[in-house]
Order: sequence, then C-alpha cells, then structure tokens
Amino acid sequence: MSETDSPILDIQHVSKQFGGLAANSDVSFSMTEGMILGLIGPNGAGKTTLFNCITGYYPPTKGDVIFKGKRLNGMTPDQVCKLGMVRTWQKVRPLAKLSVIDNVVVGALVRTGSVPEAREIAREQLHVVKLAHKADFLAGGLPIGERKKLEVARVLATKPDLLLLDEVMGGLNPAESEDIIQLILEIKQRGLTQMVIEHDMKAIMRISDRIVVLNSGEKLAEGAPLEIVSNPEVVTAYLGEAHT
Amino acid sequence: MPPRTRTRTRARGLSAFSIVAFIAAVVLLALFPKFVENPYAVHLMVTFFLAVIMGEAWNLIGGYGGQYSVGHAAYFGIGAYTVLVLLQTNGVAPWWGLLPALALALGVAAIVGSITFRLRGPYFVLASIAVAEIFRLVALNWKSATNGAEGILLSGVPPIVIGGTEIVNFSSKVPFYYMGLALAVLTVLVTVWFQGSKLGYYLQAIREDQDAANSLGIPLTFYKNIALMISAFFTAWAGALYGLYVGFIDPQTAVGLDISVQIVLTAIIGGIGTVFGPVVGAAILVALSEALRSNAITDLLVAGGLVSETSSIGIFLKDHLSHAHMLIYGFLVAIVILFMPDGVLGAVNNAARRRRARAAAGGAR
Ligand SMILES: Nc1ncnc2c1ncn2[C@@H]1O[C@H](COP(=O)(O)OP(=O)(O)OP(=O)(O)O)[C@@H](O)[C@H]1O
Ligand SMILES: [Mg+2]
Repeated sequence: MSETDSPILDIQHVSKQFGGLAANSDVSFSMTEGMILGLIGPNGAGKTTLFNCITGYYPPTKGDVIFKGKRLNGMTPDQVCKLGMVRTWQKVRPLAKLSVIDNVVVGALVRTGSVPEAREIAREQLHVVKLAHKADFLAGGLPIGERKKLEVARVLATKPDLLLLDEVMGGLNPAESEDIIQLILEIKQRGLTQMVIEHDMKAIMRISDRIVVLNSGEKLAEGAPLEIVSNPEVVTAYLGEAHT
Repeated sequence: MPPRTRTRTRARGLSAFSIVAFIAAVVLLALFPKFVENPYAVHLMVTFFLAVIMGEAWNLIGGYGGQYSVGHAAYFGIGAYTVLVLLQTNGVAPWWGLLPALALALGVAAIVGSITFRLRGPYFVLASIAVAEIFRLVALNWKSATNGAEGILLSGVPPIVIGGTEIVNFSSKVPFYYMGLALAVLTVLVTVWFQGSKLGYYLQAIREDQDAANSLGIPLTFYKNIALMISAFFTAWAGALYGLYVGFIDPQTAVGLDISVQIVLTAIIGGIGTVFGPVVGAAILVALSEALRSNAITDLLVAGGLVSETSSIGIFLKDHLSHAHMLIYGFLVAIVILFMPDGVLGAVNNAARRRRARAAAGGAR
C-alpha cells in the first residue's frame, strides 16, 4: 500500500463485550482521508459503543484501532483527541455553567496554551456553526438544536483530522437538520474526515461517500449509499426493527 | 446583527468596579491596625484572613474543579506541624521552616491526588476525609516528633533580625495581621490569574463534565493534581501562619475534621467558583461564629431593650446561647445552603445575570 492510500482510520476486528452482551463483534472497516462515512443501524446496534471503543472511552475487548498509522490500544480520550480524532456525544454534554463561547474555548485549548488565542479560534467556530449570537449565554440554557451545534463547534475547535459525529441531527426539526447537513458538507470541503452516525436515511444517503451498517453488534453491510439501500439484508434489518 | 449588549467585552476578568473596590479594601485593611489597637479586633481580622486564605485555596480545586475535598486539614496540619516542630525542637526559624513545609504539602498533594483523583463524586470525598484522618493519626501517634495529643506549645516566635537589628518582633498581633493580609491578597490574586488561565478553564470543564472534558483533550488527573498542589500549598501556608500565631497546636486543632469542614463551608457559603466568594464566606462565618460564641447577641437584645438582662429570658439566653452556638451556627449554614445553593455571592451574581439577560432581551426587540 502506498503512503497516500493508507487509511486514516483502520478498525480491525473490534469486539466489545458487556457481560454476556456483544455490543460490537468483530467489526472491521477503514476510512480514507477526506471521506464521510455513514454509520447506521437500528437502535442498540452498537454504533455509540464503537465510537466509545475507537476514542478510548473504554478499551475494546478485542481488536485494534489504528489512527494515522498509530495503534490506539490503551490510549485515553485526551490522548486520542491530541492525535486529531474527536467525537461528539449522542446525549449532548454541554459544560452547563460555562458560557457558550467558553465551552468552545475549552476545546480550542488543546492546541494552544494561550486563552486569548483560544477565544479567537472559538469565535471563528461559533460563526461556522452559526451560534455566534449566543456566545455569552450559559450553555446549560440552550435549546436542543443549539446544544447540538455547540457540540460540533467544540470539537471543531480542537482542530481535528477525524470527526466522529453521533446523531447530531437527533431531535432536530427539518430546518435545523438541514443546517447541520450543510455544516457537515462544509467541514468536508475543508478536508476533514468524518464518521457520521445518523438515523435519518435521506440525510445519510446525501452526505455519505460510504456507509457501514451495524446490526446486533455485527457489521451487516458496507458499500456506497446506493448499494446499501438496495441490499436486501439491510432492508430486512430495518423492516424487522420497524415491525417490533 | 446581534445586539451589542450580548457581546462580552471583558474576558472573564474582574469588572472595573471589583478592581477598584478590591484595591480600596486592601488599602483600608492595611491602615486598619494604625487606627484600631483593640487586640480583639485585630485577632478577629487575623482569623478572617486565615479563613480567606484557606477558602480561596480550597476554591481552586473544590470550587472551580468541583473536586470536593473534605480533607484539606491534612495540608493545614502539614504546614502547622512542620514549621512548629522545626522551630520548637530544632530551633529552625519559621521562615526557613516554611520551605520544607510547603514542599512537603506539594509532594503529599501530588501523591494523594494521583491516588484519589481516580475516584469520582462521593468516593473522592470519602477518600479525602480518610487521608486527612491518616494524617491526624500520625500527628497523634508520632509522639517523638509531634508530642502526640499534648500538642506543641511554642515558647515564642523569634524576631526577624537582619545585620544585628531587629526588623520585626512578634510580641504583638500586628505582624501576624500583616502577614495574614498579604497572604490573603496573594491568594485572591492567584485566583484571578487561575480563573483566566488554561488551568482554570480546564478545571471548570472537569467540574461540569469529566467525560466531555476528557474527550476534548484534557488529561483529568494531571490537571486536577496541579490545582490540588496549588491549593495544598496555600492551605499549608495558612496552617503555618496559624500555628505561629496561636502558639499551640495539637492533632485536633491542626488536623481535625472540623478544619476541613470549615474550609469547605467558607467557600460554599460565599459562593464556589468565584474570585470573591470565599472572602464573603469568610466574613460571614467569622462574624457569625464570634457573635454566637460571645454573648454579643444577648447583649444586643438587652441594649435594644427587647429583653431585660434580669428577666428569666435574659438569664436563660446569657446562660445558654453561647453554649448552643455550634447548633445555631449549623442551622444558619444549612439555611444559606438551602436557599442559596450557589452561595451568597452566587445568588447576587445570578440576580445580576438575570437582570442583564432581561435588559438584553428587551434591547433586542
Ligand atoms: N456501558 C454499557 N454497559 C452495558 N451495556 C451497554 C453499555 N453501553 C451500551 N450497552 C448496550 O450495548 C448495546 C449497544 O448500545 P449502543 O449505545 O452502542 O447502541 P447504538 O447503536 O448507539 O443505539 P442508538 O441508535 O439507540 O443510539 C445496547 O444493547 C446497549 O444497551
Ligand atoms: Mg447511539
């Protein structure tokens, strides 16, 4: 493999066991630089668990995660973030008693020791997610749509190479979702790589270069968006869920 | 365009009003002993300064960092015992004794932090109590160094002599007053710096959500340790000052659990995670405990003509109020915590924030 097509992220046989429950079993796939990978699957399929394993929130029971050629085994989330991979939280985690801009400043500080410089970065990122007008509000008081935007601004401020977005459109109205879709496409324009968990199939079809489908912890399918929607197994998995 | 009023012009610094008020207060306090010679008043002020120093120091890790240490008596005791043992049994001048005392506090904080910061919430609190208890037991049982339960009685603090001339002698309380004031001002300034620094941002992020903070690149234990070390440093310094000032320490008064609790209360009552919260808390608690301890309240009621000194109520109050002071003290503290969960200064700030928000919302229309 040549230097250029070596993957930015390589997930090799990752399994995560919670007692008797296999939340991830033997999941493998890789991502090339600049792509958007859509990660889909029914509720409880193990999508968030995979994010947790990849970012060092907890170690996978088995398997390896290789990011930019480095094996991440045993690394903690802060080390992974410094390396350039950062995630948002499905259940948003605003730093409630800090202002919106201070939330983003915290993210920016991973790349600089200077608070004024971090504020500059934070201001830019708030503009990017269109939250600049709320800069001095307390993060804890934001409505859900803006909390999701804040999650994105905060991770962008860490200057990542790979962004893991966990249902940033969840619970948003159509207009807000469209904002986020545009935002994700804009981030892609800047050359960042993104893995996006989302339940909205239309949205995921529009933004993804490739899609990985998880079901009961296993990788059910992987391919281009059009291949995935015409894959009978995927259709069954989703229909099956809809019927229960 | 968003309305201008919403854009913060100062970045987490102090307001111009706070700065002017602070400087004015420091100047007045510096002049205080020149005009007030009453040793009781000076004593109260030294007590106040000590409470400020400890409250501000605890606030760094407890208030900003949300790590509720109820074991700061350990660092207080390290400061007091190291300096007093070195002075009383080895004749080491306190200014020299302070150096190993502070170094020891830093080292102990680093070790304690590395072990206990893996724990979260109530487990961390319990561990901090346990650590302080261990130190109290050491003070109690290591008789050859600490003189055990009998404690250490200083025979005096040697004067500072430079080139044969006596610069300061400690026969009055006034030198302690100025040392207390200087150290209190220093801890406030350190807190101002801390609040605007990367360290301060990181500790607040940790307080709000450890997992989120960790995912944003913050190594949790490392930053908690740094904040704890600074906190322990000033707490030990306060302990040293206390020991020299009072001239007597024993395991209970220098490493007891009530010291830890007192420190936490100072910050909580005033308002945690704010620069001046511990100052407000210290003023309230010192005033309250003195008013209850003495017969000040009964005297006030008598002077106001509400109660006759010779009536049965007057006699009852005189006899019992000062004994019940811990009870009333605890009761009042509980009331403040119940009705002002962000402390007195926090309540004031919240009201100001609501007013600003209303003004901003009104201006937007
Ligand atoms: N910490 C944990 N301990 C035990 N079980 C867990 C834990 N975290 C997740 N699980 C279980 O693992 C499975 C996968 O959960 P996960 O959150 O990864 O699903 P998901 O694909 O993100 O679902 P959703 O679409 O609802 O967010 C679920 O059955 C869940 O209950
Ligand atoms: Mg999930």
